[in-house]
Amino acid sequence: MLDFVVRPFASAGRGTVRILGSVGRAWILFAGTAGALRHPGIWGPQLVPQLARIGVASVPIALFIATFTGIVMSLQASYTLTGTIPLYFVGALVGKTMMLELGPVLTGLTLAGRVGANISAELGTMRVTEQVDALETLAYDPLAYLVVPRVIAGIVMFPIVVLLAMTVGIVSGWLTALQLLDMSSPEFVKGLRLLFEPWDVWFAVIKSVSFGAIVTGVGCFYGLQTERGAEGVGRSATQTVVIASMIILCLDAFWAATLL
Amino acid sequence: MDFKDGGIMDRRREIMVGLVVVLGIAVGVVGTIWLQDGWGRDRVTIRAASTGVGQLVEGASVKFRGVAVGRVESVAVVPSGEAVLIDMSVRPDLIIPTDAAVLIAPESMFGDWQAEIIRRDDYDTHPYLDYPGEGVLPGVALPDFSRLTATADEIAQNLTTISERFEVAFTEETAQNLGRAIDNLGEVSDRFSEIINQQAERFDALAEGVDASTRELGAAARAARVSFERVDAIVADGQVQKLFADAGAGVENLRNLTETMEASLGDLQTAARQADATFARLDALLVAVQDEDGSLGRLLADPTLAEGALDAVAQMRDLLRDIQQNPRRYLSFSIF
Amino acid sequence: MSIRIVELHKAFGPKEVLRGFSLEVRVGATVAIVGPSGSGKSVLLKHLVGLMRPDMGSVLVDGESVPDLGRQDLARFRRRVGYVFQFAALFDSMTIAENVGMGLKRLPGWSADRIDHRVQECLSLVDLEGMGERYPSQLSGGQKKRAGLARAIAASPKYLLYDEPTTGLDPVTTSVIDELILRMRDELGVTGLVVTHDMTSAFRVADRITLLHEGKARFTGTPAEVRAARDDVLRGFVEGDPGLYYGLQGRGDHGP
Repeated sequence: MLDFVVRPFASAGRGTVRILGSVGRAWILFAGTAGALRHPGIWGPQLVPQLARIGVASVPIALFIATFTGIVMSLQASYTLTGTIPLYFVGALVGKTMMLELGPVLTGLTLAGRVGANISAELGTMRVTEQVDALETLAYDPLAYLVVPRVIAGIVMFPIVVLLAMTVGIVSGWLTALQLLDMSSPEFVKGLRLLFEPWDVWFAVIKSVSFGAIVTGVGCFYGLQTERGAEGVGRSATQTVVIASMIILCLDAFWAATLL
Repeated sequence: MDFKDGGIMDRRREIMVGLVVVLGIAVGVVGTIWLQDGWGRDRVTIRAASTGVGQLVEGASVKFRGVAVGRVESVAVVPSGEAVLIDMSVRPDLIIPTDAAVLIAPESMFGDWQAEIIRRDDYDTHPYLDYPGEGVLPGVALPDFSRLTATADEIAQNLTTISERFEVAFTEETAQNLGRAIDNLGEVSDRFSEIINQQAERFDALAEGVDASTRELGAAARAARVSFERVDAIVADGQVQKLFADAGAGVENLRNLTETMEASLGDLQTAARQADATFARLDALLVAVQDEDGSLGRLLADPTLAEGALDAVAQMRDLLRDIQQNPRRYLSFSIF
Repeated sequence: MSIRIVELHKAFGPKEVLRGFSLEVRVGATVAIVGPSGSGKSVLLKHLVGLMRPDMGSVLVDGESVPDLGRQDLARFRRRVGYVFQFAALFDSMTIAENVGMGLKRLPGWSADRIDHRVQECLSLVDLEGMGERYPSQLSGGQKKRAGLARAIAASPKYLLYDEPTTGLDPVTTSVIDELILRMRDELGVTGLVVTHDMTSAFRVADRITLLHEGKARFTGTPAEVRAARDDVLRGFVEGDPGLYYGLQGRGDHGP
């Protein structure tokens, strides 16, 4: 009768409950994962394989992206800096943006796709095929066995991958400047050093640590929540990528506001 | 079966992880050090004090005889506020002169500044700050105006060259040098007037404390004009005529400048004695030349006259140095 | 009395799956719980190992209340229980041998050699000798089930829970699995709980059969008693007669 009046409130309420439910479950996952750190016997042996899968295997794609980012940055910087601004600012621009923003964030977003979706799909498949239950019946804490090594691997390897990506990006920008912009190495390096601060590197490391935790954590969260077979696995992977990317961008803004 | 540790796959994976981790950390650390400080060189820190630093910031280059030898590490005001301390890291093998001082000035027109280690004697007219403390070099920050004064210095140099030529012969080359010098003078005055126009509002506020040297400039312009007219009178040669016509244009500019200043500053009637003396001597010299013979050959024959000219030029240079110092206190000028 | 389930209730949202199910299983016996798909048989099984918590009612195993066990105690308790999953739930990144040895690695005092030895033992028990180095994807459905069984028995559990052990298998393989279930009971003295909708299999392996119907134990008895029973719902299920099975309940409310 008064359905049309009540309905918006009902859906608002339902939405609120759903969001709070997600936050609650995420918190339970977080607390459980922190607690599961007590079982190094379970997650320890899983760590190296995860470091390899999450970190080492991500290096090629991260470097590929960084290479082209560096090239584009260099060319666009030279296109922008015409007239009064000397060309060596290309170096400053490439270095600064690679370190502060593009290195960590582009790598983070890429790995949200590569690593996050992978984790989510893997754990989702394990969930729907009852492998997660099987772990439990074999007295393995799934958080310790599945989540902890992945999150640790993310936290450890993301900064490493980002450092490599930043370096490669800057070097590719540099080579572009030499080859296509008729700049000299000393010129580029002068610009590079002009605005450089060691804090830039720390900032990138802090950011990528948080991105690593988010991407792996969100992947595990949605993976373990998967229901209903292959379709559910696909949905979890998609949600992981979307949510992780959103959180990465929010965190990016948050760090910029708090740390710079 | 695989219940023992250390399968070949595990081993390879460990090695790969280790490689990537080590490489990543190495790249980060090495890159930071390299970007921060140049490569693998030890550094020593030297400290200078000045009353201000202009736009000098951390990371700016430190130069010695025009060569980059280090970077500015920190710029900090002492708690009492009476001085700014500048810490610079430089190559340890650099032997810094005992009477070293630090000149803080723009490195280029693009807003980046540098700290240059100099011998104080070479630039002793600047108001260095002698701050107590062992090893603290006296320092001074030049305003952006120093670009202009650099040109003035060049003029002085050219005039010196001219006077040297006077001792030998008044050749065509000499005439060209003189012409260049006067061109430069015209350029300077152009830029002066440009800046003065830009800064006219600020000058209004400063009506009270106009610097002596701006008046000197006015006087110098008038004196120069008289002098050049004299020269014009003695030298009939056509090329020299043209030369002096150019000079006249330069001087005209100077006059315009002076008028601008006068308009905004009020009473400028009393010109500085120093400038008067300078040009009076130049004037006297030229009068003497005219009286003696009315020809240039006389000038060449008498070395004392040449020496007199040299002296006059030296004083001219002092004057220009003075210009370097003073207007800058009232004008600031920067592209960024 | 080794397994005791009393008045178990479990609902998922508005859907009440278990509505007061009770069951007792004696040591050394094998009990089959039968019922159509979706009747809550697997849900029931998961309560026994603490994978699910009841909304109401109790689950007692060896006198311990499973839902009330803490993490540590639960882990310890689970070593006494082997769980054979419906689709085997083998870890597909590991070889069969690694799968089977997985639970043993968590046990104190098990060296790599001892684990290795036990794995071979279990594999031969389920007739999978020489398959240890294969990966789950290289096995057939029946082989996977047997591998899952080998994994469940590796730690010599006191109880074995079978979740649809014969579903999706051909009749021959089904007999093989049934044989194995019997062998577990007879050779290892394991108490078994078999959840199935395959009545042939249930008659073959079970000492007692319970029909799970509308969230409750509708009927419990020996295979002979089941065959002789006059209960229409039970007869409907055993004989595969929907008219009988659904006929007497709320008209039009056709089942799951």
